[in-house]
Amino acid sequence: MKPPTYRGARHRGPAPAGAPAVPWLIPAVALLTLLYAVPILDVARLSFSDATLVRPPREFSFGNLAQTLGDRALPGILWTTMLFTLASVVALQLTGLAIALLMVRGERRGLPGMSILRMIVLAAWVVPGIANGLIWQLLFSEAPYGAVNSALRMIGLGPVAWLSDPGMALVSAVIANLWQGTAFSMIVFYAALRAIDPVLYQAAAVDGANPWQMTRRITLPLLRGAILVNSVLVTVQTLNTFDAILALTGGGPGRATEVLTLFIFNTVFYNLDLAGGAGLALLLFGLGLGAALMLWRLLGART
Amino acid sequence: MRRWRRGWAGDAGTYAALVLIAAFFLIPFVWLFSLAIRTPAEVYLGAARLIPESPTLDNFASILSDPAFLVYLWNGVKLSVLGGGLALLLAVPAGYACSRLDFRAKPTVMMGILAVQLVSPLVILIPLYRWLDRLGLIDTDPAVIAIYAALGTPLSVWLLKATFDAIPIDLEDAAAIDGASRLQILARITLPLAAPGLASAFILVMVMNWSQFLVPFVLLERDGNWPISVAIFNFAGSTSASTTQLLAAACLVAVVPAVVIFVALQRVIVRTLVAGAVKG
Repeated sequence: MKPPTYRGARHRGPAPAGAPAVPWLIPAVALLTLLYAVPILDVARLSFSDATLVRPPREFSFGNLAQTLGDRALPGILWTTMLFTLASVVALQLTGLAIALLMVRGERRGLPGMSILRMIVLAAWVVPGIANGLIWQLLFSEAPYGAVNSALRMIGLGPVAWLSDPGMALVSAVIANLWQGTAFSMIVFYAALRAIDPVLYQAAAVDGANPWQMTRRITLPLLRGAILVNSVLVTVQTLNTFDAILALTGGGPGRATEVLTLFIFNTVFYNLDLAGGAGLALLLFGLGLGAALMLWRLLGART
Repeated sequence: MRRWRRGWAGDAGTYAALVLIAAFFLIPFVWLFSLAIRTPAEVYLGAARLIPESPTLDNFASILSDPAFLVYLWNGVKLSVLGGGLALLLAVPAGYACSRLDFRAKPTVMMGILAVQLVSPLVILIPLYRWLDRLGLIDTDPAVIAIYAALGTPLSVWLLKATFDAIPIDLEDAAAIDGASRLQILARITLPLAAPGLASAFILVMVMNWSQFLVPFVLLERDGNWPISVAIFNFAGSTSASTTQLLAAACLVAVVPAVVIFVALQRVIVRTLVAGAVKG
């Protein structure tokens, strides 16, 4: 039997590490190409067309896409989407970081109860998006027996129009999103915090640094990578939020919480306007890509 | 003494924050459970009757004795498990190659797989609906399962790569010297050692599939094909104030399996996620 040949100390695993990778990659890459790459190209193609859900495209022109993007409702939809995304991303990151800091501090001092906190936050994460919307609808219910409002009444505070006031409805949607999404940021920040060498803090303590200085000079700079990655992922996840808002407000009252994903869905599956929906989907794809690249440059450039 | 006291104050602050945060995350579950065990009359009493005076399991009984509801649950399990299994089947070789093989396109492949995760299922569903309609595959499970697999593959590849990276290479080297082929090594040595990572990836993808709403909502038209997520949404649309307690019970039944499995295995899953996050 011939012994396997090794390619120096650099190899990773049984030689040769230079064995063709293609056969190993084909199944996954083929499926992702078929169900992601090609559909995205087809979305781009359809966005120039005049196709409807029940009729194939007959002609392609820039005019069709221009008409989609010139929709009079679109600026309002994008404004709502931006407010929802911006508020969610800030809230998600701050809450996620706060919980991660709390957990790391608790673990360092050997305080019990930290794993219970983690468990509760994670439990909200795995609630299906649709159930998330329905649960918060029950909580924010404006009927006299709604959870939050009846609790507020018990302490003498007036009812809040959680879902029927346009401004409040958006706040409610952000709260529901925060409830479900925080766990993700918590895990990312927790992993990053745990990776910081404790010797740095010991050295700073010897030099007489206070906790605030340690946070500012050690923790935050070392978290930059995690904040970058998390910003990108959370922004895109929030842009793509669909089922939680659908179940919570359905986009209402009026169009106050109709974000881009809901608008796309309604365009395609209620108005049967496939070409219009494709154009808007292309916009959503572009926004996600743009946000990712912008955050990458903004936060990544300084490292 | 001063140092001790400062530490004590800090601990008190830590616990104060912990209680506040825990309350925010716990209250929705508590309220859902409270509604689900109320009689219709007590639903109208709001927060004052957080703990019902006459708690009842009738709501669960009426939900779970509905044959249609059991079909929704079964559909949810079927689609989640098969979709998750297929994703893992595709992700194992890809993750292994990304961990163990040198190839020039590796950074491109890894970034491409990550980038795919940023695309909303809504975007790909628009053309997929057209294609599947033409192929007569609307309203069929295989179409939904294939899309679930595509949605779950990227995360699985990343997690499995991180898992394989953490397995010492020496074991594989030893087996290679004994003349085992790469496939044999993968099956006999690497995969058994990667079991915790494999399990975490499978559970995560399965839970994601269980939560998936948009794909089955668009592709499955017949009531009898719906998974639980689509069913509770339609149920919510047909309920009124007098059936709030039933909706709460149905939501709870949809939520509990995912939460219980996840929380029971959270230690392993979080370790895998943390390993993946540090690598990524």
